[in-house]
Parts: sequence; C-alpha cells; structure tokens
Amino acid sequence: MDVFVSLYNYWIVIFLAMAGLYIVIARGNLIKKLVGLNVFQASVFILYISFGKVFGGTAPILADGIEVYSNPLPHVFILTAIVVGVATTALGLALVVRIRKEYGTIEEDDIHAQDESM
Amino acid sequence: MKDYLVLRIVTKLLLPFILLFGLYVQFHGDFGPGGGFQAGVIFAAGFILYALVYGVRAARRILPVGILRAGIAGGVLIYASVGIASFILGENYLNYSALDHHDPAHGQHLGIFLIELGVGTTVASVMMTVFFTFATWRED
Repeated sequence: MDVFVSLYNYWIVIFLAMAGLYIVIARGNLIKKLVGLNVFQASVFILYISFGKVFGGTAPILADGIEVYSNPLPHVFILTAIVVGVATTALGLALVVRIRKEYGTIEEDDIHAQDESM
Repeated sequence: MKDYLVLRIVTKLLLPFILLFGLYVQFHGDFGPGGGFQAGVIFAAGFILYALVYGVRAARRILPVGILRAGIAGGVLIYASVGIASFILGENYLNYSALDHHDPAHGQHLGIFLIELGVGTTVASVMMTVFFTFATWRED
C-alpha cells in the first residue's frame, strides 16, 4: 500500500500517460488525437518536475539562510518542453485545418476511405 | 458572445488584474518564481479573453497585425542585442556581468531583466498571433 501512497506522483504520471496514449490510438477524430497527445505530454512534464523536487527544498533562488533547494535543471528543461509543446500543438492544429479544407472531414476513417477510393 | 452582459462586465473587471498579474510575474521573475515565458502567456491570455468575449475584430483594433509581428521579432532582437552588448563590452556572449562596470551583480540584474523582457514580448505576441490566426481563419 505504501508504494501507492508515497509514490503517488508517479501513479498520476502513469495514469496520464496511458490515458493520453489510449486517446491517440483509439480515437479517429484528429482534434481528439491532439488532445490525447497533450495529455501524454503533461504526464512527461509531471514526471520530470517530480525528479527535480528535493524534499524540504525551496525554489532555486539565491537568498540568505537557504541551504537546500530543488534541482532547477529539470524545471528549466520542462519550461522549454512546454514552449515546444505549444508550438507543436499550433502546428498540429494548422495541419488539421488544412486536412479539413482538403477532405472536408477530420475523422481518420473518412479520410482513409477517401484516399482508398481515389 | 456580445449579448452576455455578465460575461462582458466580468471580463472588463478582470482584465486589468490579469494584465497586472502578468506584469508582476514578469518583473518579479528575478526574485521569485516567474519569468518571461509565464508572464507572456498570462499577458496574452488577458487579450485572448477579451477577444473571446468582445469578438476578434474588437481585439484586433487594439492589437493590429503590425504590432504583434513587431513584438515577435522585437523580443528576439532584445534578447540577441543584450548578448551582443556584453560581447562588445569585453565578455562572453550573454555574460551579464559585463553590463555594469562597477558592480557585476547590478549587471546581472539588468541582463536578466532585459532578457526576460525580450522573452515575454515574443511569447505574448506569438500566443496572440496563433490565437488570432486560428480565430480569423476563413474557408475559401
């Protein structure tokens, strides 16, 4: 039981990653796939931010009387990943808009059927 | 959403505080959690909220395309020119200590302030540009 309670952040990560992966695989709607991708991405963010946390540590800012602080490197790393995530989401949405314009649908099955019938 | 009186008034009430919080996160970034990325997104979220409630055309009147494009490029330019300034003053690229002759700590403060200002400008402009681009998309 202890492994569930004391490592709860990793269980959240696993749940979010699997939920995101399931949405990406199981849903045909391209927008829903992008949402799934973002959920998966959030799980990776939480995983890395969890790594950087030091128990009893404060924010990594120089100040008097502070000896222990959290590891800033994973946090900065994830700051970059969040910005890249916004950019990839924007790119993905732009692609979906183009696909919608070309095929008239964003359902993957319909797009596939149209490709087959050509 | 022009007819929803509650949304319009609540948006008008909240907007200055959202922008003020964005500026706080921006300028308090060297002493507490915060910085250009977060502040830029908060600042852009304020304008996106305005655009959602009052319509994209009204938001476009405050923020024409030219200003946003200038913001995207200008932020990167601020970032790069801080680096080049420290370069010219005889230190490594982006070594802020060179920005102040007397006290390197003051130079560090000035450097990170300008860098975060550049980051914030670019991030806010990019977020708003992405939103406006999708919001004004026309099928032709």
